[in-house]
Amino acid sequence: MPPKNFKKRGTAATDGTSTPQGPSLAEQMSYGHLPRPFKNPEYTKNINRRAKNLKNILGQERERERTERERKKAEDAMELDEEIPTYLSIEAPPSVLPQKHYCDITGLEAPYTDPITGLRYHDKDAYAIIKAMASGLPSASAAKEYLSARGVNSIVK
Amino acid sequence: MDIDADITHIPLPFLPNIPAAPEEYGVHSSQHTPLIIDNGSTNLRWGWATSATPRFGPNIFSKYRDRKSNKPLVLFGDAVEVEGAAKAQSRTPWEGDVLLNFDALENALDYAFVQLSIDTPTVDHPVLMTERLSSPAHSRALTSELMFELYSVPSLAYCVDGLMSFYQNDHQVGSSPSNSFASDGIVVSFNTASTSVMPILNGKGILSHAKRIPWGASQSADYLLKLIQIKYPTFPTRVTSTQANWMLRNFCSVAPDYISLLQSFEDPAVMRSSQKIIQFPYVLPSAEEKTEEELARLSEKRKEQGRKLQEIAAKNRVEKLQQKETDLAGLFDLRDSKPTYSKREWTHKLQSEGFDDDAMLDETIKKLDGDVKKARKKEAGASGMDVDEPLEEPSFPLVDVPDADLDEEGIKEKKKQKLLKAGVEARARARKEKEREREEKEREEKKEEDERETDLVGWSQKLRGEQETLMARIKDRAKRKAALSDRKSAAAQARMKSIANLASDERVPKKKRKGGGGANLFSQRQLFLDLLFFPDNSSTEDTFGADDADWAIYRKINIGQASSDEDEDLAQLQVIEQKLLMHDPTFTIEETHASITSQRSALLNAFKPMYEEGDIAGNTRIHLTTERWRVCETWFSPGIAGVDSAGLGEVIQNILSRFREDEKERLVKNVFLAGAPTRIPGIAPRLYSTLRPLLPTEMSIEIRQAQDPELDAWRGMARFAQTEEFVRVGMTKAEYDEYGGERLKKWWGSNWNGGF
Repeated sequence: MPPKNFKKRGTAATDGTSTPQGPSLAEQMSYGHLPRPFKNPEYTKNINRRAKNLKNILGQERERERTERERKKAEDAMELDEEIPTYLSIEAPPSVLPQKHYCDITGLEAPYTDPITGLRYHDKDAYAIIKAMASGLPSASAAKEYLSARGVNSIVK
Repeated sequence: MDIDADITHIPLPFLPNIPAAPEEYGVHSSQHTPLIIDNGSTNLRWGWATSATPRFGPNIFSKYRDRKSNKPLVLFGDAVEVEGAAKAQSRTPWEGDVLLNFDALENALDYAFVQLSIDTPTVDHPVLMTERLSSPAHSRALTSELMFELYSVPSLAYCVDGLMSFYQNDHQVGSSPSNSFASDGIVVSFNTASTSVMPILNGKGILSHAKRIPWGASQSADYLLKLIQIKYPTFPTRVTSTQANWMLRNFCSVAPDYISLLQSFEDPAVMRSSQKIIQFPYVLPSAEEKTEEELARLSEKRKEQGRKLQEIAAKNRVEKLQQKETDLAGLFDLRDSKPTYSKREWTHKLQSEGFDDDAMLDETIKKLDGDVKKARKKEAGASGMDVDEPLEEPSFPLVDVPDADLDEEGIKEKKKQKLLKAGVEARARARKEKEREREEKEREEKKEEDERETDLVGWSQKLRGEQETLMARIKDRAKRKAALSDRKSAAAQARMKSIANLASDERVPKKKRKGGGGANLFSQRQLFLDLLFFPDNSSTEDTFGADDADWAIYRKINIGQASSDEDEDLAQLQVIEQKLLMHDPTFTIEETHASITSQRSALLNAFKPMYEEGDIAGNTRIHLTTERWRVCETWFSPGIAGVDSAGLGEVIQNILSRFREDEKERLVKNVFLAGAPTRIPGIAPRLYSTLRPLLPTEMSIEIRQAQDPELDAWRGMARFAQTEEFVRVGMTKAEYDEYGGERLKKWWGSNWNGGF
């Protein structure tokens, strides 16, 4: 049965038409039924496969890095002159350059900051928009939305 | 300016094409042709090392059950877009920058091998595969496990895609594959969820000095989406991340000098000329286009119906009236027939008709009589007769008769008449009052007209002055309201003080105030000053309320709802503006309060043009202005979007600072940009202008871009897999068993971590 389907898929691709009675487009594109002889039937899934999430993995990396460092220290670290980069150690450091301020509304340069919302603004017209936010326009959370675009998230307790 | 010409329509989603048929396996069978897999977080590319181009597709798969046929389906790549159910179940091997979902990877690799028609019990080909720079051990371990244990590959080598793209584009490698690779340079690899910078010396990646910025094209697209969402909070259709990605690729670019670009945008005209307008699909409400004739017929029909209703109502009224009249006549007859009955019979008769006694009968008759009269009058009014016929003066004969001359009934009647008389008189007074007011108004209007006619300029000036005062008052009120919302403002504190003052038992008396009712503000201030400076000046006498203006304090401390003053002022303002608009040709609609307050600056208008409420096409448009550069600027300063990381320029500077001057010179002579996002225009010039001030003038900087950013990494891998060197870099099954899945054989194009 599968080889027959297999053929059909091939012909459908070449002549480019499909009869409305035939299998749906999704069915034609599915490869679930195709034989996969190259897979080892003996293989059983690693139980670790699904258990780990991103946080676990990064935690594991951190732990590995720490033990590695300690091991190196213990070995006097003379023979290893090259440091081994890890996923965490190659992360770019925080910027030390002075950060430019941009208007949260328009994206232009922002010489001012509204002390109430903490939003930065370019001119009095942008400030008028911020003022309107204080009275709930266009929505009560508008100021927070603008802040979160800049990565400033208010902590909800 | 013709706006329509600048509008780009968002592309409609299209159904995926059926992928090309799998290739024949025959020629590669038992030939050990190297198998090249570039496992990117957006696209998976795979193919034989001998092919010119790989097969590729979005690295996404979906396993679900088709609802119609109830068949389990597995889709990969573009095919996932075929229907919503597939898309909802889709998963990718990558979570951001980390390879994490190995079910998805297994399905993706299955698809790749099926497409290559591999029909042997194992995948008997050496594999060269990409991995993330300094890939986490867990990702590598599970990938190796799949490769060696599930697909039983004979050997597996890992490489970093950016390095292989560099290799492919390196002019020194030349056409002969045996030429050894010994170039220098810096690879800036733009990936989907991160950007890495890798120095290369003598054809060897110096990965100990490499850095990764946690910002990539997907973050830029997300940032653009977020900006669109806050710019258009009530956008009628949902903007998807796919659409944001499309906008990023088509409309966004990197500014060579972001600050000066922003400064040029302070001119609204420049900002406007930079905009890109994206039209989203919209549905016009099926406007009922009716012909003139149809409309006329409709209105005629409506009128006809109205008339009919009116007729029915009138008929009902007449019928009711007639009914009442007959009733009334019956009752009159009944009353008139009283003498014909004996007293007993009469009472009996009355009771049988539903009356208790004569009084009740009289009352009913009176009431009915009144009703009938009223109804008749109404009828007469409705048929166009003058209702306002002079009322015959009702007479109150008893009012002037002294009580002594009256019996009990009479006194009662007199009281009644007195009341009635008072009512009639009050009404007459009110009428007169009204008349007088009208006359006064007319007189005033006349006076104003005269004034206007004799001195238009002066009149207009006066009115304008009034308008200004009103507007100032409204503004002041708004300001005060705003100030009161801040607990620490002077206005709020003054308010608290006056509340405390009102609540205290011993109210501090006011000094004799100057001025009267109009000087509220002044007296108010005086009150506080008194409070501040003469706290001991307390005589027990409370004069609060002696002056009407005293009560204004309650208005001051009440911040709950908008006061009625506001409405009054607005109404008055409207009257004045109407007059000005009518008579003063120099007063335009733009000068009215409404248009002044709703006015937006030209700059904001250029940033986000407003459309009329009913303009459906206009309201489903997105205008991109500063965003077009803002979302790309993030590669150079991720801080804009809240990512606390150094930008591209700073990272390259840091990396260079770890090299000697002569090495630096060799590195910057060959800055290479890899990855699909390098298609965004302006990256190279910007990088140049960022690096130039950081380096001595004699160091020449050269920036090159990958010829084919999407496929060059794969091509470089395929090319490398055909060199003799390739055989030495692969980890064999035996080595895998010995060292485990986290390790790899270290070579010039591979990662360093876990190397042996």
